[in-house]
Amino acid sequence: MTVEFKNSRRQMLKLLAAGSGLLVFPIGSLVASERKPTADGKYIPYWAYAVDTTRCIGCCACMRACRDENDVPEGVFRTWVERYRVDRDGEVKVDVATGNDHVFEPVEGEVNRAFFVPKLCNHCAKSVCNQVCPVGAAFNTPDGVVLVDQAHCIGCGYCVQACPYGSRFINPDKHVADKCTFCYHRITQGMAPACVLTCPRDARLFGDLNDPKSRLNVLLRQRPYRLLKPEMGTHPECYYLGLDREVV
Amino acid sequence: MTKVPEPGSYRHTIRLFLLLGAVLVIALVVRSLLVPDSFGVLGHFRLDAIEEARQSVLRHMEQDVCQDCHDDVVGLHAKDAHAKVSCETCHGPGAFHVAAEGEEGIHLPEGQRPCLVCHELILSRPGDFPQIIPEDHYRFVGVREFTTPCTACHDPHEPLFMDRDLRTARLHPLIHRCRDCHAGRFDETLARPEEHPPIFQCEYCHVQIAADFAQRPHRQVRCTTCHLFFRESDSSGRILRDADPRFCLLCHRDADFRSDEAPPSIEWPDHRDDMAETEGDLQKQCIDCHQDHIHPLKVKTAAVAGSGSEE
Repeated sequence: MTVEFKNSRRQMLKLLAAGSGLLVFPIGSLVASERKPTADGKYIPYWAYAVDTTRCIGCCACMRACRDENDVPEGVFRTWVERYRVDRDGEVKVDVATGNDHVFEPVEGEVNRAFFVPKLCNHCAKSVCNQVCPVGAAFNTPDGVVLVDQAHCIGCGYCVQACPYGSRFINPDKHVADKCTFCYHRITQGMAPACVLTCPRDARLFGDLNDPKSRLNVLLRQRPYRLLKPEMGTHPECYYLGLDREVV
Repeated sequence: MTKVPEPGSYRHTIRLFLLLGAVLVIALVVRSLLVPDSFGVLGHFRLDAIEEARQSVLRHMEQDVCQDCHDDVVGLHAKDAHAKVSCETCHGPGAFHVAAEGEEGIHLPEGQRPCLVCHELILSRPGDFPQIIPEDHYRFVGVREFTTPCTACHDPHEPLFMDRDLRTARLHPLIHRCRDCHAGRFDETLARPEEHPPIFQCEYCHVQIAADFAQRPHRQVRCTTCHLFFRESDSSGRILRDADPRFCLLCHRDADFRSDEAPPSIEWPDHRDDMAETEGDLQKQCIDCHQDHIHPLKVKTAAVAGSGSEE
């Protein structure tokens, strides 16, 4: 059985035009969060985070504060601190703070470089975890934060596998996906996230990318920074100031 | 016997469409029951979830809240080296404490551990940050018991008695210390000295003072112990002299936990009051009388090229 097109050339051209129109104006762009005010002119910030790795002293006050603020169960972390050691042969060793106190054990040995790298969810503008969620429980808010709808999440763990930064975990108490929210309940009230508040060395910074005068924007204009795994195309919104080349 | 439909009858087609329609209606009903109300308003998610995330309970307050009741301590704290350490870094989240109207619910750190979390010398910690090896530190200042809490000498709210604001302190090129790069106790000889990157040491510029200081009783003390250095950028920082009597007393105050080999210790403020020269003069500083224990406070420069000066 053959399908006959009437005026097939005209139809073909129409289809092509519609198809190319979709390519130029993808439907996704209508719903994706963009860094711009809403239609009614209300100002919407775009939250982002910066970590100054040259200042971190590895005290892990951030980890304890996060646990207290967000009731994170033992054994899982919304934010954590890694210690990198590059020894004389160029070999890189990484360890993380352990125990309930979250402290680093002293280690001996000669190194070329050694430093701490605090890590957390990168709140990617094009997050992978949102794309793989089968029930739409992971999403980007208009102000640039990646959240989990814990009432809707089915705990399948697909997002945990998809995140290239290992920022997500299944909450052992609630059995749903959990992650850093930039302390969304705090930042929407004009307060700093708990980890930023308690960092004794200003190694963690938080601010509004839409505000050209915010401290974050000033620092990003002045200082060299790197992003984690930019080649993944996730557009992470966590800027690492003074980050060593060995960190991935 | 099956009934053969008459030619031209469309009943089977109509039935099929009715069935499909019923399935569609059921699907729509089920979908409306399963899909939450605010789903899809801003995107492929439930809009109400944003509001729910906003409703989480606050545990950490901010410094302003602490200041409402503890104005004196917060004011003291803001002047000294711990100025950037928020109250809740050491005292834990303050919401319970505020809810209990200050009766309970706040953490009061005890012993050495809370201090050593930041100040213990461990590999990777930036070298411009003050760190100690506890045993060495206790031995140096002559504390007998290694379990003596840090707070026996140091007030965490006013650890260094800094006499001026850091932002007005003098700019100074970056000071490197061995432990910027070297972990442990630096007793190993450097394997390849020719590969060592150039660093500045105090005596390179401050020739006269360094030479003089090496003859004085305080020669075991590093320059940066009293001349506090705070790194600001990759190449510079702020340096300030700490001449507050209470700073000297951190090592020299008489206490029962000090051993006999301790640095010479005195009773305070009895010592000041007993002395004929200082009696009644509360402005007197230790170095007004004990200058010869450190180094001359006025050093003539220009005689030697490259020599530095100290006020």
